[in-house]
Amino acid sequence: MNTNEHIVSSFDRDLESIQAGIMKMGGLVEDSIHKSVLALDTRDLELADLVRAGDAAIDALETQVNEEAARILALRSPTASDLRTVLSVFRVSTNLERIGDYSKNIAKRSHAVMAQPPIEDATASLRRMAREVELMLKDVLDAYIQRDLGLAEDVRERDIEIDQIYSALFREYLTFMMEDPRSITACMHLHFMAKNIERMGDHVTSIAEQVVYLVTGALPEDIRPKQDLISEASNKS
Amino acid sequence: METKVNNMQLDTRIAGEDAIKIAARNVQVYYGDTHAIKDVNVDILDKTVTAFIGPSGCGKSTFLRCLNRMNDTISIARIEGDIRIDGEDIYDRRVDPVQLRAKVGMVFQKPNPFPKSIYENVAYGPRIHGLARSKADLDEIVEKSLRRAALWDEVKDRLDDPGTGLSGGQQQRLCIGRAVATNPEILLMDEPCSALDPIATAQVEELIDELRSNYSVVIVTHSMQQAARISQKTAFFHLGNLVEFDYTSKIFTNPEDSRTESYITGRIG
Repeated sequence: MNTNEHIVSSFDRDLESIQAGIMKMGGLVEDSIHKSVLALDTRDLELADLVRAGDAAIDALETQVNEEAARILALRSPTASDLRTVLSVFRVSTNLERIGDYSKNIAKRSHAVMAQPPIEDATASLRRMAREVELMLKDVLDAYIQRDLGLAEDVRERDIEIDQIYSALFREYLTFMMEDPRSITACMHLHFMAKNIERMGDHVTSIAEQVVYLVTGALPEDIRPKQDLISEASNKS
Repeated sequence: METKVNNMQLDTRIAGEDAIKIAARNVQVYYGDTHAIKDVNVDILDKTVTAFIGPSGCGKSTFLRCLNRMNDTISIARIEGDIRIDGEDIYDRRVDPVQLRAKVGMVFQKPNPFPKSIYENVAYGPRIHGLARSKADLDEIVEKSLRRAALWDEVKDRLDDPGTGLSGGQQQRLCIGRAVATNPEILLMDEPCSALDPIATAQVEELIDELRSNYSVVIVTHSMQQAARISQKTAFFHLGNLVEFDYTSKIFTNPEDSRTESYITGRIG
């Protein structure tokens, strides 16, 4: 990464501005992940509705950041690391917006879950899983703004843990449903939420790959090991 | 991974990739005590547009002028090293610079047509080099050259008008037509579009892309966007050194050297 300043200082300000937009989006998304599962775990419908309403702000920021990035492309013809910075903003903002949608989805579903009697510590496990993703997101945003290759690689590695938690939850919900068919409605919703969080992990990983691209000019070449944990889990049960 | 695929696609645009037209080894140029070109090694490919970029005074024009011995006309210039075109040493005593310049055509920054008719501007070179045996031959060469320069349709009805009466863009295309009239194998262009408006620039750029199928084109440009648009390979010069020479797509997306990066991204290097 080139740390020197541009001769045209307004170019620096433009690039800083779109990256600041990404960080702001990231902050809102972290918050929405945290609150969506907190609302679920504490059965707080009001908080869930706040998360749903808050998604509009994330979407608006995405639009704004993308428009600014498009303007830089058109007016400044960025090259090399500047070009990669602008391209990464398009991609990362899309990833963040998707993660925000998943939080909103969880908040929406929590209405249905709360209409059912609580199931042991099922929501607490979801909260732990979401906590992991939240930490990964925080780290990947740090890696992004600091161009920290090591930290980005570390985040990529950690996605496997999210996948493992997901498949553990999947098994747990299967057990609940078999033991008591009355829990099926709640468990189906909880499973979708777990899947949402697992997808959040994939988007965080995708951001980590963008950091690798930003720093090195190439996407990582190694394919992350992806076990098919679900079919394994289904076979066992 | 993505950039690799990208490179492959762009690189296939280079025909006859391994055909080296110009090979320069350990080239040094001195203007009196000034060491203007420092140990430059470069292989320029046939049927390829190669762009030389770099800040003012970096030596890119000086190096370009070595390729057809234009620096011979500067008394204090001294050149060392080895420059071969098709394996032949162009600084060999037996090489006639005039013949060499017929083979290595040049187009300059400002359009500089001779104060003669459009026809005579193009016919002059072939005539002094004895390339035409008859008036009909010469007519044919003039038409062919002007067609190559994408100017024929605009001037075919007024070939006797003075070349200096054309618009700037037309004058520059006339100079390109004049340069290709002697059947060169290499075209050197020293900022050919810097005096032209965007439309004329686009026409000349389109022309350069067409010329690539017949010639090895080397272009010096201050416009990095132009280098990115028309060249397949780019050389970045800085303080007399050739800092980086690679595929244009690589130079503009992920250069190896931090000096190249600083220059193309507009930073203080």
